[in-house]
Amino acid sequence: MPHARSLYGTALRLTRNPQDAEDLLQETLLRAYRGFASYRPGTNVRAWLFTILHRVRTDMLRKRGRSPQTTELTDDGPAVNPEHEARLTAGSEDVQRALAGVPEVFRSALVLRDVEEFSYEEIAGILEVPVGTVMSRIHRGRAHLRRLLAGRTP
Amino acid sequence: MSCEPEKVTALVDGALRGGERDRVAAHLAACSGCREQAETERAIHEQLRRLPLPELPPGLDTRLRAQLAERRASPPGRLALFALPAAAVLLLVLWARGLAPLVAWELSHDHAHCYGHVDPPAHVRSADPAVVSGWFSGQGTPMPNLPAQVGEARLFGGRYCYLPDVSAAPHVYYTGARRPLSIFVLPHAARFDDGYRTLSGGRTVVLLRAGRTVVGVVGENAADVDTAVERLRADPGIRRALAEAEALVR
Repeated sequence: MPHARSLYGTALRLTRNPQDAEDLLQETLLRAYRGFASYRPGTNVRAWLFTILHRVRTDMLRKRGRSPQTTELTDDGPAVNPEHEARLTAGSEDVQRALAGVPEVFRSALVLRDVEEFSYEEIAGILEVPVGTVMSRIHRGRAHLRRLLAGRTP
Repeated sequence: MSCEPEKVTALVDGALRGGERDRVAAHLAACSGCREQAETERAIHEQLRRLPLPELPPGLDTRLRAQLAERRASPPGRLALFALPAAAVLLLVLWARGLAPLVAWELSHDHAHCYGHVDPPAHVRSADPAVVSGWFSGQGTPMPNLPAQVGEARLFGGRYCYLPDVSAAPHVYYTGARRPLSIFVLPHAARFDDGYRTLSGGRTVVLLRAGRTVVGVVGENAADVDTAVERLRADPGIRRALAEAEALVR
């Protein structure tokens, strides 16, 4: 079920934990099931499912007293060591590890854009933020990732 | 113009339009720092795009059904109307069973989505039908013989497209002078009539059924779509599959 797999992949990249990812996927599919009547034809089903996933994730974090919005919003990440820029050709395990180190508020935008290949407009709909915020989060997310891949701890 | 790093990000992602895009592109041509940023971001995008999709945890389906059964024990109002085993199953049923207009709409949307990119995202890039079919077959999806050219549109690649019924369908790209065309291969039986034809989002969509497979053709140009349908119907493999499907109905 690749649709579920791609939701699960995003869940795993957001939570960084298989148990939380499964809970997130389950709750998302259950809400999708209950909400199918509210699905508006003419909108993108895949984006609709990801919107539910992100709402569920926000609720999960709220219950734990955390919010992805409050983390390091002003931080552009650690400085780049130019000697290590070559690591940008790192293997997928290095990339996964580096991605996990990006603060969630940026990581969520980055995963939607770079892994799932949604457009800025679609991401704005999914994360329920303005397009300008999407642009800024993707920019900062990539800056973070670049620095992490360059081998510096954040 | 001074450096606007966030706009460079948006340019890389094809998210700028008209004058703004031209302005940032012109700045990039004159600024090596911003050019380097763009190259790095493109490299990051490529690396993330290629990350492998994780496998679903074993037994998830069973656990999901159990969860849903638990919640169904006290169905709140409208939920009873949709008393089906699981979310995924609901999507599958709604999507695949006879909802040709929804399928057509989804394919039309995916066509627009992929061609909305300056460079449509592709898992395989080739003008050779054998290479493109071979790549999908190698991934486990049997493919019909694809035409190399349809009207003015020429084959140039394809990718897996995710459908609402949680399956993945090969999406094959054809491009000509402003006339992109898509051929989708839906890898499961869908219960609608062969030859369904509609206009969805200004694009012509035709669905052919071949045995357990549905082939969808989407294009901006109706004549191109009809040519593609003719070519596909003339294909011996497709003809055989269609005959088998008919025999099953009788």
